[in-house]
Amino acid sequence: MLKLFKIEWLKINTYRTFWVLFGTFVVFFPLTVFFSASKYMEQTSGARGSGPNPEDLAKALIGAPFVFPKIWQTSAWFGGHFFVIIGMLFVMLITNEVQYRTHRQNIIDGWSRLDFLRAKASVMFFFVIAATLLVFITGIITGLAFSAPGADLFEDVHYVAYFALMAFHYLLIGFFIAILVKRTGLAVIIYFISVYVIDGLLWLLLTIRGNQMGYFLPFETVDALIPSPFTPEMMKLRTVADYSLLISTAVYVSLFTYLIVNRFKNADLKT
Amino acid sequence: MSVLSVQQISKNYGAVKALNNVSFEVPQGSVYGILGPNGSGKTTLLGIVMDVLKASGGEFRWNGQPGDADQRKKIGTLLETPNFYSYLSAEKNLEIAACIKERGLDDIDRVLQMVNLHQRRTSKFNTYSLGMKQRLAIASALLGDPDILVFDEPTNGLDPAGIAEIRELIIELNRQGKTIIMASHILDEVERVCTHVTIIQKGVLKTSGTVQEVLSASGETDVLVEIAADDATGLETIIRQFPGVKDVKVFGHVLSVLCTENVSAGQINKYCFEKGVVLTQLNMKKKNLETRFLEITGKQSDR
Repeated sequence: MLKLFKIEWLKINTYRTFWVLFGTFVVFFPLTVFFSASKYMEQTSGARGSGPNPEDLAKALIGAPFVFPKIWQTSAWFGGHFFVIIGMLFVMLITNEVQYRTHRQNIIDGWSRLDFLRAKASVMFFFVIAATLLVFITGIITGLAFSAPGADLFEDVHYVAYFALMAFHYLLIGFFIAILVKRTGLAVIIYFISVYVIDGLLWLLLTIRGNQMGYFLPFETVDALIPSPFTPEMMKLRTVADYSLLISTAVYVSLFTYLIVNRFKNADLKT
Repeated sequence: MSVLSVQQISKNYGAVKALNNVSFEVPQGSVYGILGPNGSGKTTLLGIVMDVLKASGGEFRWNGQPGDADQRKKIGTLLETPNFYSYLSAEKNLEIAACIKERGLDDIDRVLQMVNLHQRRTSKFNTYSLGMKQRLAIASALLGDPDILVFDEPTNGLDPAGIAEIRELIIELNRQGKTIIMASHILDEVERVCTHVTIIQKGVLKTSGTVQEVLSASGETDVLVEIAADDATGLETIIRQFPGVKDVKVFGHVLSVLCTENVSAGQINKYCFEKGVVLTQLNMKKKNLETRFLEITGKQSDR
């Protein structure tokens, strides 16, 4: 796997789009969390007038999203939103190979079909590991900056693991779409539509009157593991437990992996 | 043992049979030409033996073994168009190919020099001309000095000097004992370079064997004689009366005469002289691959 990743790294380390999109994630995600935190803390601890002011109310409802332990959930949630950029990048890295027929060349030069998929999977793991580390670092720095001393640092740190799973799952679906659609522009559009439109609309439809079906949609099943830190506790609709979401994610992961391998192993490699 | 053995390979695209039960054997040390008009299935066939396309039926073996990734690492291949990462230099692109082939990086300079791209090795692929891209693809195929080379239209996009260089390179590689499988629609190229040839038309194998076998297998063993005299029209009139002449075509001042096998140059010369015509040119030609190719595939351009 490491050998395959080294070859993938040769392909991407001078690819400008890679650095632009990866850089966007690496720079803007932590900055967004940190500045949101500082703005929020400034407002909620700011001028206190007489009587209940709106900021206090917000604090009471939402809790403290930028201090331990909730910062882990907040960091993972922001990370998830920014990670769609990496999802798009990953889709492009695969479809570019198809469009320039370099995937054919890789096979001709002596990779097996599975080697090609494994090589892309190694890139996937690279993105997941890098992004998860960043979510962790962002969480710990923001938490330390704004929490009162003596807070339990690692309570609720499991949200970072949820993020890793979510990142992996987002890339896997991107992988599937890229292998299926092949055209860069179209694949990216379909990816965005599936992330934002299809999953979102179906979710609305399937959660009417507290129905829980919507939480088992391909993207939502991991999204729901990291709920918005800004939704007040009383407004939460989800009653299915985390472990059922984890099981359904596992089912999706197996399904998409099977579809990707099956499709690519037997396909004619053309543009 | 055959370097490549193709057995009853078929490829269907829906109702279209791109390849229909194609079988042939590539002997070790040969330059094996796969000749066919555009769209006859040559690239499809090479795509199948390199595992980028899946056959609908049949099988192939490299050196007696079913084809797999490890065997492909030891085969140098140029398939269809040069496929490289456009934003990477020639050197970087070859580095990727060498890593996949598990060959040392020290071979990159050698192959770039062989195709005269060494000076441009740090230029990005997308700044290359068509001919340079083609030469880079050939360089990539030569990485690691493989014993088997597969070239699909190797002289595509090259200028006349480049074409001559590549043909010489192929002959030289063959002299070093390498087996070369080459698809081409250029008859002249196959005739000059190849020891063996297979002719494919519309996915069907028409004939295969050594170039000599294919040329002489037509059953009829006609010879072609080129003659010329100062009085071309007079020559044409008398030569048509010569026994054994089947057809006469006029190319400027030269007559191309198709005769039966038993006609010799001496007889023609003597006959013309006796009729009072002095030949200024007399040239016995073997029938060439072009005549044979047209016989086999027909003369319609939609063949």
